[in-house]
Amino acid sequence: MVKQLGFILDTNRCLGCGACIKACQIKNQLPSPLKWRQLRQIEKGDKSQIQRFFLSTACNHCANPECLRVCPSGAYYKRRDGIVLHNPEKCTGCQSCVGSCPFGAPQLNPLTQKAGKCQLCYDRLDQSKSPYCVQACLTSALQLHEIRQAENNQLLRLTAQTPSLRLTRPSVFYKPPRPTEL
Amino acid sequence: MYQTHGNICPRNCYDTCSIRSTTRNGILISVEGDSLHEYTKGKLCPKALEDVKKVYSLKRIRYPMKQRGRFSGYWERISWDEALNLIAGKILRLKEEYGSALPLALNKYSGNFGVLHNAMEGLFSGLGPTTRAIGSPCWSAGVDAQTYDFGTFFCSDPLDMGKSQLIWLWGVNPAWTAVHQMPILLNAMDRGAKVVCFDTYFSATAARSSRFIQVRPGTDGLLALGFSKVIVEENLLDPDLGSYALGHEEFIQYLRRDIDLNHCAEITGVPVKTIRELAVDYAKTHPACIWAGFGLQRYTNGGQILRAIDALGALTGHIGEPGGGVQYGQFQTWQFAGQLQSLHPKQTTKSNGLLKSAASDKENREDRLLSINNFAEQALQCSDPPVKMLWISGRNPLSQDGNLHLWKALIQSLDLIVISDLFHSMSSKAADLFLPVTTHYEHWDLHASYWHYWVGVNEPAIAPVGESRSDLQIAWAVSHRMNQLAPGSCAFPTGGDERETLLKELGPDMLEILGLETPEEIFNGPVRARFPATAWENRRFKTPSGRFEFGSAMAEASGLPAFPVYRPPLSPPGEFPLRLLTPHHPTTINSQVYTLETEKEHFIFHLSPDVAERYALKTGERVLIWNKLGKLEGIVQIENRLPLEAVILYQEPVKSNVPLNSLMGTPNTDMGNLSLGAPGFALNETFVNLRKLNSFAPIS
Repeated sequence: MVKQLGFILDTNRCLGCGACIKACQIKNQLPSPLKWRQLRQIEKGDKSQIQRFFLSTACNHCANPECLRVCPSGAYYKRRDGIVLHNPEKCTGCQSCVGSCPFGAPQLNPLTQKAGKCQLCYDRLDQSKSPYCVQACLTSALQLHEIRQAENNQLLRLTAQTPSLRLTRPSVFYKPPRPTEL
Repeated sequence: MYQTHGNICPRNCYDTCSIRSTTRNGILISVEGDSLHEYTKGKLCPKALEDVKKVYSLKRIRYPMKQRGRFSGYWERISWDEALNLIAGKILRLKEEYGSALPLALNKYSGNFGVLHNAMEGLFSGLGPTTRAIGSPCWSAGVDAQTYDFGTFFCSDPLDMGKSQLIWLWGVNPAWTAVHQMPILLNAMDRGAKVVCFDTYFSATAARSSRFIQVRPGTDGLLALGFSKVIVEENLLDPDLGSYALGHEEFIQYLRRDIDLNHCAEITGVPVKTIRELAVDYAKTHPACIWAGFGLQRYTNGGQILRAIDALGALTGHIGEPGGGVQYGQFQTWQFAGQLQSLHPKQTTKSNGLLKSAASDKENREDRLLSINNFAEQALQCSDPPVKMLWISGRNPLSQDGNLHLWKALIQSLDLIVISDLFHSMSSKAADLFLPVTTHYEHWDLHASYWHYWVGVNEPAIAPVGESRSDLQIAWAVSHRMNQLAPGSCAFPTGGDERETLLKELGPDMLEILGLETPEEIFNGPVRARFPATAWENRRFKTPSGRFEFGSAMAEASGLPAFPVYRPPLSPPGEFPLRLLTPHHPTTINSQVYTLETEKEHFIFHLSPDVAERYALKTGERVLIWNKLGKLEGIVQIENRLPLEAVILYQEPVKSNVPLNSLMGTPNTDMGNLSLGAPGFALNETFVNLRKLNSFAPIS
């Protein structure tokens, strides 16, 4: 692999507005309520400060993708730029990937009865355009980077707390939130 | 074949985004933000992202419809010909019966803020003196407050906020309601600026701010006066104040004499130490900006709240400072010619879309003007002659007004109710006729923002869906039919060209403001008005004295105190101890819904842990909130940092036949008459009680 593309989310800039999710849904013509990107609100704090932030997550385009490992029909492959691609033509809809991805990225499309997930808008990247989610982000909180070149001393892999998650080596980083002083 | 067009989001929203729409073979296929627009910057909010679905929604009404009986839901499709005959015939009969057009009433507001939508006012002016809703449900008290202080209502270019070192977001939640301001704020923070958010609850914007200050509802004016008191005590006044202010000595005396910080802390819930610390920080940091939101002034003391905040900005020298000021909104970029809504264009002074055409209404002196916030009540009182026909346009009063029982009574007294809209609404249930209107992708229009300085044209991208027509086309058609049936019965034009009509709205004033030689240049793309980026940068104000008026003779003449004073908000009546706050939700603009799939099953009542404990409630439990006007059932959600004596109910789409406004009366704000002809709607002065419902009882 030459590169590893991945999302970096600055939680200080993410408003939780969901424009990324909607743009993905609309442009990829996903049948509602199917979403390839999810939003979680996280809150922690005490009497003097509070951290309320959002995590907008999609496929993590892992370095060691579990979906690719378990797929019996070879529907997954990893591009030289690190994108984990799912090929619906090869997919039989067995849902092995749906059950095994620790992040719940692949989901069954109820219309096609095949799995599907964020393909990182690879066709747009090939035309030097941003993924739809990144393009839609109003505050530039969500960005796409070559992860191995990104300065990641200020970044967190928030998903790495569970050992099993570490094994897939997700290619997603977060800039940790500043607290709001009370 | 692909084509792109320039559109402008016409909603009642700060951002008024410029949109590039793409069509394929005449079908709208995508919308995105205009990357050349300095404020929209190529991005759209989640509401506008679903515009394509909205335009082609199966729920959209595509044909004129007639309801067999009000509230029956039995709608049948009719032709435009039949609809126009019904309307024109009724108007002519009423004019004959009463010898006047006053029985005809128009209730129109902000469903679409496009200038060509003023055709509805024009049509009514063409009929003779009629009954009109004037004023605004939204921002009247604050508009008047700033008019007393500055002489007119103006804010800096929102990009100016990016220069600020300290930004106070006061009662405003841009993360939900003005998303395009957020990058400006976040960039300022990345450069080291501090953002302090003042609100009644921990909002999405508070979560992105450096600091959150929780203020008890309706006490913000006292908090501002408390800050000013500290500034006086600490001798942090702007040394140049004397050169541009009027009446500051009396105001300072009032602060010294009447404002007590301990009392201020007790009432506002902000500790004295915090008040001192924040006041000193605000006075010493330059530039420092305050953005005062609209919710802040929807109290019976709302105008005084805004005046107190303006005074704080002036005392410390932040007014007129690049990156400073007290920002609220503006309509200086709305100086359109007003030809559409006026019968006598040559005599017209500047008219103003956002001013509810108050200027032209005042010219047409015989019009009967009813406050938009007390419309049903005042219409019922009209007897000579009574109101007999109502046209509702760009509004949903049966969802958004207070005292809905009076609306029910008014409906019963009316012969004909016409509504023009895109979708059915709470209000269309009461209508006899539904006229389908075009979206902004189907007509020409002209738009300004009440926040940023950009003005632009909206081009039609597609042909009207179904048989929908623009408000302008409807107004022409009604006039045409009236003149066919009775020549000379309506002075409004009977036809024309939308594009030409649009150009006529760019008179000499607007051309100068926009720096255009000819009106046609507006078709080249949105234009930024040529105002300096900082409002009041020379500290020459538009007040009678030319100074910032702490003491305003105009306010006194209106029966208000000359300088800003503390007036308490309403206190909860004993049996209804909880204040009901109904902030905007990111998926809606008032009753306009943009997320097409997430209608909630139940109302969600957000309670602080204290309130929940007092009523022994847990998250997920079913409760009833009620007062003398109505009741609503819903589900409890307990959250930290909500107000201690309040229920928060966001304006989100809920599957319910009862609107949340069924709990609201029509308390008025203290100001609004001066600029808008009527006081605003103090809807945050609504009080309720709460009780747990038996979980086995069926939801009625």
